Amino acid sequence: MAKVSDQIKYETDDPNRIQDVGWTLKEIWRRTRGIVVTSINLIIFFILWELATTYGNINSLFLPKASAMFQELWVGMTTRAPEGAVFSGSILDHFLHSFKNLMTGLAIACAIGIPGGLLMGGNKYIESILSPYVWALASLPRIALVPLFILFLGFTTTMQVTIIVLSAVFPIIINAWAGVKTTEKSLLAAAKVFGANRTQLYYKVVLPYTLPFIISGIQQGIGRGLIGVVIAELFGGSNGLGYLIQRSADTFNTAMTFAVLLLLIVMSLSLINFTRWLEAKVAPWRNVNHL
Amino acid sequence: MSKSNENIIVAEDLSISYDLHRERKKLIALQNISLEIKKGEFVVLVGPSGCGKTSFINAISGLIPKSGGSVKVRDVEVTAPGPDRAMVFQDYALLPWRTVEANIRLPYELQNLGLSEEEKQARVKNALELVDLVGFEKSFPYELSGGMKQRVGIARALATNPDILLADEPFAAIDAMTREAMQAEMERIVMETGQTCVFITHSIDEAILLGDRVVVISYRPGQIKEIVDVDFPRPRMSNSEVKISKKYAELRDHIWNLVKDEAMQTTRGE
Repeated sequence: MAKVSDQIKYETDDPNRIQDVGWTLKEIWRRTRGIVVTSINLIIFFILWELATTYGNINSLFLPKASAMFQELWVGMTTRAPEGAVFSGSILDHFLHSFKNLMTGLAIACAIGIPGGLLMGGNKYIESILSPYVWALASLPRIALVPLFILFLGFTTTMQVTIIVLSAVFPIIINAWAGVKTTEKSLLAAAKVFGANRTQLYYKVVLPYTLPFIISGIQQGIGRGLIGVVIAELFGGSNGLGYLIQRSADTFNTAMTFAVLLLLIVMSLSLINFTRWLEAKVAPWRNVNHL
Repeated sequence: MSKSNENIIVAEDLSISYDLHRERKKLIALQNISLEIKKGEFVVLVGPSGCGKTSFINAISGLIPKSGGSVKVRDVEVTAPGPDRAMVFQDYALLPWRTVEANIRLPYELQNLGLSEEEKQARVKNALELVDLVGFEKSFPYELSGGMKQRVGIARALATNPDILLADEPFAAIDAMTREAMQAEMERIVMETGQTCVFITHSIDEAILLGDRVVVISYRPGQIKEIVDVDFPRPRMSNSEVKISKKYAELRDHIWNLVKDEAMQTTRGE
């Protein structure tokens, strides 16, 4: 019998349909325009800032020169406090303190949040027992808990990390939970038809399906965690970037305040972009919006 | 088609119902369905939306429990899915994080079929050839067109070398032109493998072109309204005589008259 497929050929089946076009100027521009435009945009922004603060009648107490901010940032990031100093004026010291706290807090939040969310999604009893507490704590503004934790733990690093964990853990729990709950029914049906038992359903379908949700949760957790870092240090502590913001503003060193704010922006954007990249890497089938 | 006289699927007084918890009611999807399907037969189920066609093949596959009667495959009551039955889904149901090849190999990872690695490789290769997807082993589903995705779905179903192929509106989401090509492929594959096929569709043309028998199911509760025999010689898809024959038009009209009232009823929401 003549194979029917011999008579019907799809264009899409032809591997020769994809042709190599090589590098063109247009293609190079298409790939680099994002970086080029953003760089020019930022350079213009800082030049305008510099001009406005140099020639405009602006009190440097409120808005320092951009160059002063960068200088403060450079000096602060390249010097360390001498051994045994009571207070460090080095941004790097405070940055390392905050960054270490943030990473510790995020690690603990993941260790609690990922299994917690997965269990809540996978077991309806655990879900119904835990969900009121999760929603209650997730909806409570975390800043309201700071005085309480200062009372419990004092002005310590443990207190700061606890605030970070409490800030970051809920988006991670809720996303992992939602990922499990929204796993496509037809994928589960397919796996069952082809012989999956309960454990296999979890490992082969639910977990890979939930992975990008977990990464989104971590991404939101980073944002919340950074708020937690700054809040905890503003309220109670003698080190960290939050403390440095307060201290530099109190001592009218506005250039330092701006330098720390810029550093926070850079840190936050780097971490969030890293998780976006990770999300696109592990789940290319989801059209991740590049905002 | 290599039809024998041996019954492979036997449904007797099969009923399926779903609990509607919110309304504290029970929806009877299928009521007292009795149907015998012979080995190598191509049976097509047609009927209005919500008439329980999907419930019927889900009961054969073992995905859902029955509320009454029995379904037997080779004289054994169906209680769970098994490697002798495979399914093709309307929305393809391919795992998006797996390549075409890894998707086709999924059944081997989930159950032990006692195959050696060489046998598995040979079967995957054979399935890829059958659905004409050689060269796309390393592609991901999101890189493929709808028709190609469904051919991966068919290849996965063929990987276990099942006796029974269950297909739930497999071409419903595929554009009209690709659809005709897919129907031809389906006919060819089933002819080449000699499998028994239970196929659901909303298209009367698809039903007549593919089916040895067309089972018309009525709307809520789902019951068999009539079984129509279709005896055009195969292959039908590549034979342009079939579609323009008088018998084809008569069959088409007959089936349409059977489902017309029901379809009208569902559109009015009664």
